[in-house]
Amino acid sequence: MKKDEAIASETVEALEARMPFRFPREMVVGLLVLAAAWQVLSLFVPPFIVPGWERIFKSLVTLRMDFVLVTLARVVAALVVSFALGLGLAVLMYSSTPIERYGRPLVRLLMAVPVVCWILFAVLWFRWVEFRIAFVLVVVCAPVFLVDILDAMRGVSRDLRDMLRSFRPTRAQLFTKLVLPATLPAMLTSWKINLSLAIRVVTIAELVGAVTGIGYGLVVAQELFSVAEVFAWTLILVVLLFVAEAVLTRVEERVLRWRV
Amino acid sequence: MKGAGAIEVTGLRKVFHQTGTGEAVVALERLDFRVEQGEMIAIVGQTGCGKSTFLNLLIGLDRPTEGRIAVGGRAPYDDFDHFRGILAAVFQQDRLLPWRTAIDNVRLPLELLGRQPDEQLGRARAWLERLGLGRFERAYPHELSGGMRQRVALARAFVIEPTLLLADEAFGHLDEVTAAALRQTFVELARTEGTTAVLVTHQLEEAIDMGGRVLVFGRPGRLLADIDVRAWPATAVAALRADIQRMLQDNTGDPRLPRPAKERA
Repeated sequence: MKKDEAIASETVEALEARMPFRFPREMVVGLLVLAAAWQVLSLFVPPFIVPGWERIFKSLVTLRMDFVLVTLARVVAALVVSFALGLGLAVLMYSSTPIERYGRPLVRLLMAVPVVCWILFAVLWFRWVEFRIAFVLVVVCAPVFLVDILDAMRGVSRDLRDMLRSFRPTRAQLFTKLVLPATLPAMLTSWKINLSLAIRVVTIAELVGAVTGIGYGLVVAQELFSVAEVFAWTLILVVLLFVAEAVLTRVEERVLRWRV
Repeated sequence: MKGAGAIEVTGLRKVFHQTGTGEAVVALERLDFRVEQGEMIAIVGQTGCGKSTFLNLLIGLDRPTEGRIAVGGRAPYDDFDHFRGILAAVFQQDRLLPWRTAIDNVRLPLELLGRQPDEQLGRARAWLERLGLGRFERAYPHELSGGMRQRVALARAFVIEPTLLLADEAFGHLDEVTAAALRQTFVELARTEGTTAVLVTHQLEEAIDMGGRVLVFGRPGRLLADIDVRAWPATAVAALRADIQRMLQDNTGDPRLPRPAKERA
């Protein structure tokens, strides 16, 4: 086998070896150690402060699982809308420098407003609960998508740009053949960031006025002073985030298999 | 098309202004020469002598400050779109799109030209085969060695059968053996296809090995000599090399050297 061929076949094998699922041993061990420490702590602290796993699991089975689906649906719908909005505005700002010059400070302003303030605005401005929640999620996540995507578009290698321009593409071709695919890794990273952000924000948004969802479940648990239930909901939120991130990571591995 | 790949350079000047200070930096100083259709030239010079600036003007990525550069009578910057499917370039780094496989990189210019998918694939595959990469058409750039990637870049340039082919330090970063092999491939393909070829290099050996015309650039961006290597007997090439080297070191022209080129004209 020639040297060139050897290099190519080696790297193909290395790439394939990376693709199959790898059991996250370190993470599982870490979580088990934490769970054990928690259980030990629960033996020395009253259950209304640190409930043991038995109490948490008992609460867990009584929780309304449809609330999880409702929260998840809210998060996914809001992220899709935020992504579309962020991408659209990023393309607009990318293609027009004046729009970017005027738009950037406004986006920074939006990003500087605390989530709690957005929730209060939503309560004051809108009557429909679903709209309130969607508004808060979109106003928090869309600017993150916008900034990440716009920065990635601006960061496309000048060498690659010149290479493609030497073949005389149209503006649309330059965008679809170069800018968009080059921005894909940043888009996926932004999805990961926003997913974690959205799951945390939706819970807070659901605390205000919602009668479904995990946030509402937490309010009810607090009103009943059921610490075990609060922990059970928290556990579900954490698992939800882990699963969603794992799914995104798998998508990333598939879509970005060309990366070294 | 007769003369479509002929390059005319008249009083070409390029001045950049430094960001911040606004100070003018002359990159090219009144260049005048002509390259005939199907001719092969190498531009040699030290770093900072304006070789890449010249190439960017030729590709049409930049506009001359003064004078004119024309290919087949058209200015690459002003008539930018006219050069669709006419001009192709190979760069120092392969500049392959990392998310595309070898074959998808090669077919890219044909996609831009709006060719049918079957034609794109057929021609891209044929060029990969021709450059010895038939087995690697599904490989991503990071799975290929530097030499293989540069061959893919060559295939990508040749796949549109350009009238004018430009190479900017295209083989300089490769090992000597790979560079020599690729250079030979480049020259052979350009000759077979009847393409006007411009190779920009800082390596004198590479310029002379091309076996065509050598334009020696001095600082700042001026033509020190225009030499037709073919007009020099093989026994005198070593002396020619030494003379060009001295010329580059002194940054002055040598009245003896352009003579063979003039005689040819």
